[in-house]
Amino acid sequence: MNRASVQSFLYPLLTLASVGLLWIFPDTTILLVPVLGILFAGTLIRLHRWSRWSSMAFVLLIGIPVAGLENSFLFELFIQIGIYAALALGLNIVVGMAGLLDLGYAAFFAIGAYTWAIFGSPQANQFIEGGHFPLPGWPYFYLFMALAVITAALVGVLIGLPALRLRGDYLAIVTLGLGEVVRVLANNLDHPVNITNGPKGISPVERPPVDWILAITDRLGLTLQTNHAVALFFYGLVLVVMLAIVLINRRLDRSRFGRAWVAIREDEIAARSMGIPLLRTKVLAFATGAAFSGVMGAIFSAKQLFVSPESFTLLQSITILAMVILGGMGSIQGALLGAAAVTLLNIEVLKSLSEGLNHLRQTGFVLDLGFIKYNFANLSSQLEPAKYERMIFGLIMVLMMIFRPAGLIPETRHKLELEARRKGKAS
Amino acid sequence: MDGALLEILPSIILEGLLVGSVYAMIALGYTMVYGVLGLINFAHSEVFMIGAVTGVEVFRYLSPHIENPFTLLVVAIVTAGFVSGATAVTIERLAYRPLRRRGYTNRLVPLITAIGISFFLQDLVRLIEGLWHGEFYMNYPSHAELEHTLVLPLDMTLQVKGLITIVVTLLMLAGLWFLVKRTRLGKAIRAVAQDATTASLMGVNPDSIIARTFFIGGFLGGVAGVLFGVLYTQVNPFCGFIPGIKAFTAAVLGGIGSIPGAMIGGVILGQLETLGGFYLPFFTNGAVGTEYKDVFGFVILVLLLLCRPQGIFGKAQKDKV
Amino acid sequence: MSLVIRDITKRFGGLVAVDGVNLEVQRGEIFSVIGPNGAGKTSLFNVLTGVYRPDCGTITWEGRRISRLAPESIARRGVARTFQNIRLFGAMTVFENVLVAQHSHASYSYLDAMFRTRRFHRQEHRIARKVMDLLDYFGFAEKAEELARNLPYGDQRRLEIARALALEPRLLLLDEPAAGMNPKETDVLRDFIRTIRDDFSLTILLIEHHMNMVMSLSDRVAVLDYGRKIAEGQPAEIRRNPAVIEAYLGASAIGAVTTDA
Repeated sequence: MNRASVQSFLYPLLTLASVGLLWIFPDTTILLVPVLGILFAGTLIRLHRWSRWSSMAFVLLIGIPVAGLENSFLFELFIQIGIYAALALGLNIVVGMAGLLDLGYAAFFAIGAYTWAIFGSPQANQFIEGGHFPLPGWPYFYLFMALAVITAALVGVLIGLPALRLRGDYLAIVTLGLGEVVRVLANNLDHPVNITNGPKGISPVERPPVDWILAITDRLGLTLQTNHAVALFFYGLVLVVMLAIVLINRRLDRSRFGRAWVAIREDEIAARSMGIPLLRTKVLAFATGAAFSGVMGAIFSAKQLFVSPESFTLLQSITILAMVILGGMGSIQGALLGAAAVTLLNIEVLKSLSEGLNHLRQTGFVLDLGFIKYNFANLSSQLEPAKYERMIFGLIMVLMMIFRPAGLIPETRHKLELEARRKGKAS
Repeated sequence: MDGALLEILPSIILEGLLVGSVYAMIALGYTMVYGVLGLINFAHSEVFMIGAVTGVEVFRYLSPHIENPFTLLVVAIVTAGFVSGATAVTIERLAYRPLRRRGYTNRLVPLITAIGISFFLQDLVRLIEGLWHGEFYMNYPSHAELEHTLVLPLDMTLQVKGLITIVVTLLMLAGLWFLVKRTRLGKAIRAVAQDATTASLMGVNPDSIIARTFFIGGFLGGVAGVLFGVLYTQVNPFCGFIPGIKAFTAAVLGGIGSIPGAMIGGVILGQLETLGGFYLPFFTNGAVGTEYKDVFGFVILVLLLLCRPQGIFGKAQKDKV
Repeated sequence: MSLVIRDITKRFGGLVAVDGVNLEVQRGEIFSVIGPNGAGKTSLFNVLTGVYRPDCGTITWEGRRISRLAPESIARRGVARTFQNIRLFGAMTVFENVLVAQHSHASYSYLDAMFRTRRFHRQEHRIARKVMDLLDYFGFAEKAEELARNLPYGDQRRLEIARALALEPRLLLLDEPAAGMNPKETDVLRDFIRTIRDDFSLTILLIEHHMNMVMSLSDRVAVLDYGRKIAEGQPAEIRRNPAVIEAYLGASAIGAVTTDA
């Protein structure tokens, strides 16, 4: 047996083992890490097709949902990861593939989120007469997902057309400025006409109905609580959209557009001399990234029920950038890994650390190592790891740039065209 | 425009000059580093912030020992200058130099590093202040002598601390001018800015010149931090961001890489911002109010980069093929 | 007359890099531009390919004006180039480097790429095949999947030519293709340039310092010095031209030009 066959045999077993652990201890959230780790490994190692796809499908369609119905925080975690993964994939096209440093990427997320939030809540009644709002979740939410894609992409084009003429470092600072402008607008467009409801934000935002899920599970003889059905629904929705984005990303990467992006990143002048239209190629990258962000914005607003300018700060843009850098600029798997790692770090590891420290502080735990003695009751309440995201993301960015600028999973240029060509020649 | 709005104009221009001097001093840090490295040092806004925070600490700890607020201010300015200068040099040494040594193919690498450092420093200062004092929002103590209001011709008023700001800025700029134009170090800096390789062949050590450039830029940033803190009293670990962006705008306005450009750019931006911030609400009937004041700076930057990225005085550059 | 350059001038600040140059290149010709370092040869190429905008003058190619067009538009009119300092896409494979130049020879849309339509597959197959044929022609077939930056220097130079040919140009501008090559490699390159001229029916404009190569390869030669054209003619005439010899070596060294410069 060759290596690929051995791995193909072991991989599903490992998958089963990790999922099994999660099923036995669904409340131990951290057990999601080996499951995700094995999922990632599946995209990287050599496996037979059946082994890879059946194992992944099992994890995503059965493993996580079953555990998630026991512990809905798992759903929450996965939804967060999925949303960030889509954002990281979008930013990866702009920064990683096309080499355009965009520091205002969260603005497109905001545009997607507000697109649905304004019309999927009573907010729109403020400036459109007749009390038509909120629009019902069915079918309007799905319509607005599409609309969010279009709006975000259009804004991307509008911003991109002037901004992308600039040199790289100026582009970074202009996108940073434009990102802030969008946030300040969201903060202040409660007057003279109240469009965004200002810093108070918009709530409640309508969600698409989930009775069909309840109907199906009833048929299957399961009784599901509504909040579980909602979590399951958003899990499925985020999964579908994220996978669609991965697929689109892969396909674009392996087309003349993806090659043009990488070519202008590598050398603008050489690319132009080979007939690649510079501005159009850059704007295309910018708008594609914006579109990915926009659709997840719409989903985010429905999931959260609430949208406010707080969610779309520079820190948000930097968080997504840190994911792309950690994973590897230009690498699709890298973006996914970066999103998963940073999200887990952010909402699981740091939070647990903070809670742990708080616990020690409150109970007045005394650390006694003989030569050193420390009472945790004296520990400053300022020391809360969860609040120091800037420090952690900043450190990730600097250390990666110095020691591993290509990221954890460096970009690999692929061989698909060659396969295509061989087929072409054979026929 | 009615008479009252016009009458207040001289005071607004004076206010703009104050803000502008602070911007100019920060802008010099951006422009000098850009000159020698061709890098937008995003972390410079944090070097400025560290100066402001150092100033608070000096006031906090030396107030009981030094009675005279002017002496206190001078001590604060000098300390902050050195702390910020040292910070800038450390950043260069720990982050930028290893990158330069290694060489990189992706031109985003130094930019991303700079942004990373900027964010890291914000939280580092927050952590230090948090552990030290239990909070990280700080105030400069008020001193009657510094707040005293002088009445100038044309009904202009100026607080003593404003006057000090203008005087210190002028001193700093004169010192910098002397340093760059009249000393060997200045000559070496200009040589490295033009062509680091050739300069090194001529016996100039680019690394040491770059480090000194960071120190000078950082020193000016630290001084600006103290002046900013004394003028506006409130200081926190995140207070460098907005002045940083505006100072960068000023540097671009005057043509990035150009030292006189940064000075003039700072003053022009200060004027545009205070005039705009004051008069816009009147012209738009309140639809665009002071809440857009910070955005105003961004909009100027964006328009500027789009229409005239080489700045008012700069010459167009072209990539070498 | 297929390439006509009229009074082209390009200034950088006070420096006049190209000063009122006139050239006419016939279809199918190998035309060389020589001159000392800093004579404005590369600047002329950059003006020709749209990287620089000329301050005055016009360039027409196949009867249409191409001066002041963007580089990508000029490339699409069948003008390809290589660079003096190699400018490959280092992070892309050999195959992809060449494939990039076929960008404008495929017309499938963004949505075609997203949905993998028949049109996408048909065109991708077609251009991939053309590229493979070209790689076979250059002997790169075995190295197709290597990253361009990992190739040895000589291969990188040839890959640049392959990439330029993938644009399917009618005019090829070669900027010092023999730079850094030894005499033997230079001879191989000389024959190769002649072969591609014939096989791809090209007009070739060449900048070169290897005088032997220029003299034995070119149909005609123009000499630039301080941005001005100081001589033009067949290699034998240029070799004898005193102004050229002076520009290169100073008046004392007459006769030395015939050896490798």
